[in-house]
Amino acid sequence: MPICQLTDVTRRYGTGPSRVDALKRVSLTIEPGEFTVLKGPSGSGKTTLLNQIGCLDVPDEGSLSIDGTTVAGLSSKALSRLRAEKIGFIFQSFNLIPVLTAEENVELALDLAGKPGERRAAVLDILKQVGLEGLGHRRPNELSGGQQQRVAVARALVKKPVLVIADEPTANLDSESGEAVLATMRRLNSELGLTFIFSSHDPRVVAHAKRVVTLHDGAIVNDQRTATGA
Amino acid sequence: MIVRLALKNLWRNPRRSGLTALSLIVGIGVFVVGDAFLGGLDENTIAAAENGTVGSLLARPAGYPTIGVHAPLDKLVTVGPEARALLDREAVAWTTRVLFTPTAVHGADAVRVRATGYEPARDAKVFTRERWVVQGAEPAADGDELTISPSVARILGLKVGDRFVLQARTHQGALNALEVRVAAIVQTGNLATDSLGVRVPMPLAARLTGAEAPTHVLVKLARRGDAKAFKPALAAALGPQAEVATLEEETAELLALQAVRRKMLDVVVFILLALAAFGVANTFLMAAHERTREVGTLRALGMTEGRVAALFVTEGALVGLAASLLGVAWGGWLSWWWSVHPIDFTKEIALKTNGTVAMSPLLGTRFSPAVLVFAVVLGVVVAVAASWYPARVASALRPADAVRA
Repeated sequence: MPICQLTDVTRRYGTGPSRVDALKRVSLTIEPGEFTVLKGPSGSGKTTLLNQIGCLDVPDEGSLSIDGTTVAGLSSKALSRLRAEKIGFIFQSFNLIPVLTAEENVELALDLAGKPGERRAAVLDILKQVGLEGLGHRRPNELSGGQQQRVAVARALVKKPVLVIADEPTANLDSESGEAVLATMRRLNSELGLTFIFSSHDPRVVAHAKRVVTLHDGAIVNDQRTATGA
Repeated sequence: MIVRLALKNLWRNPRRSGLTALSLIVGIGVFVVGDAFLGGLDENTIAAAENGTVGSLLARPAGYPTIGVHAPLDKLVTVGPEARALLDREAVAWTTRVLFTPTAVHGADAVRVRATGYEPARDAKVFTRERWVVQGAEPAADGDELTISPSVARILGLKVGDRFVLQARTHQGALNALEVRVAAIVQTGNLATDSLGVRVPMPLAARLTGAEAPTHVLVKLARRGDAKAFKPALAAALGPQAEVATLEEETAELLALQAVRRKMLDVVVFILLALAAFGVANTFLMAAHERTREVGTLRALGMTEGRVAALFVTEGALVGLAASLLGVAWGGWLSWWWSVHPIDFTKEIALKTNGTVAMSPLLGTRFSPAVLVFAVVLGVVVAVAASWYPARVASALRPADAVRA
């Protein structure tokens, strides 16, 4: 069963002469374990497509299902539940909660997902996996950009989602930090079979991808599986 | 997690949180202190009447004036055997008084005074003398001695042992005058008797006024609440010559005036709390705006609209709780302090009243733990209500937009 399946998804903004078709009848299937990059110029619809896949927004037309759940018609509460349980997010600007420590930021995701069990052990384990052992007590402003993004990665992964969405995850990182974050995600993809989907201009990200989907003016113009990934 | 996150959010900008809470702290404190003062004023009014001029209930001639300083002697109350038996049987204590308004003359000085003819043995059983400040001795029951209030002593330049003349209209309308001696200067702590008051033992009062019966019968019952039930029996025993009024009825007018003051306090507190509410709402609206991306992140992580709203409302409730506790702390402390150490307004008001108001110039507060609890709840409710709109604004943010704001 695909992790994510979009069929003829259309998303429009505005009305009348100012109407913009941000996505035009986009169909896309993401299988488990994929490491997919969405690329394309600014305004091509990458972020809009990620919003759809992440259930942050709903399509005007077409259908979307996540891990077998049809999104159309779900209430706001049900969409929240779907995001909490099945989707991990990594953002360009990290989007950590500044008043919480790294551990608390990660634990927040578990709390919202309603995951039972020993949360602290899970939090410490995932922080160790992303190379932040011993830094869990620090707040985001006490961490470097690369470390903050790794906290965001840990937050996305700790609840064991079926899909991780990363929107320009290396855009605010220097090359060394960006490479480290990518390597971490690629390793987790390989070791745990987690499914990743990125949007990025960054050639390094594209170089890591197993599949590259190119968008232009709200439509998929190329969908290519790479030979090696990275 | 929501409470922990709310607490941390409030500590994000402690100065702003503190300033937001300040108006609530002031409003809640003013409510507590104001309510305590009005409660104290109510208690003062009731206690002064109960312990100085009314007892649990009183009887006076039918049609006797209750407004102004006029104390006519044309009608008196005769306590017949039936009424006497009833009072002896049912009352804890009872006594009689003759109120009249003679002129006190000392040398070239003269002043109209409020005289109370009283039964020395009985009077003390009905009315407490705990707050009396006595300079001198209790007058002899059947001599020419009396006590005067400090204001009469000051105006006429009298001291204990001095003699002066009391001129009074008799029951029959003739003008009578007797030379009397000051046995004591007594401050009762009740403006009704301290303001130009003289206390005259009943035999001397009868000689001055020619009254063979009292103008007032004053009754002390076991409990305040018993007066209403006892009133019809006493009225029936005394007959149509007299009207009977309970303590509650005698103080109703003053308490009604104080109810108006309470309404005014309510208005002041409402304005203060409304200002506080605007402050809270403004702060949280700013917070909702500043934290748009955080709200978007929380929504992306799966927080529902309801929990986002709950987060902001929880922050409001915590501000309200902290501010209310601080407001109750300062307001409650002042209320307690003044309940133990009443403020003495003797100099300010004792000489400005004409003795028609039964109250103590010592104004204390009524310390009420129930009011403190109510004040805390009130503060929390105000803060929660004020944070409701910002919470709705925050929860209504579209996650797709907010997360990249």
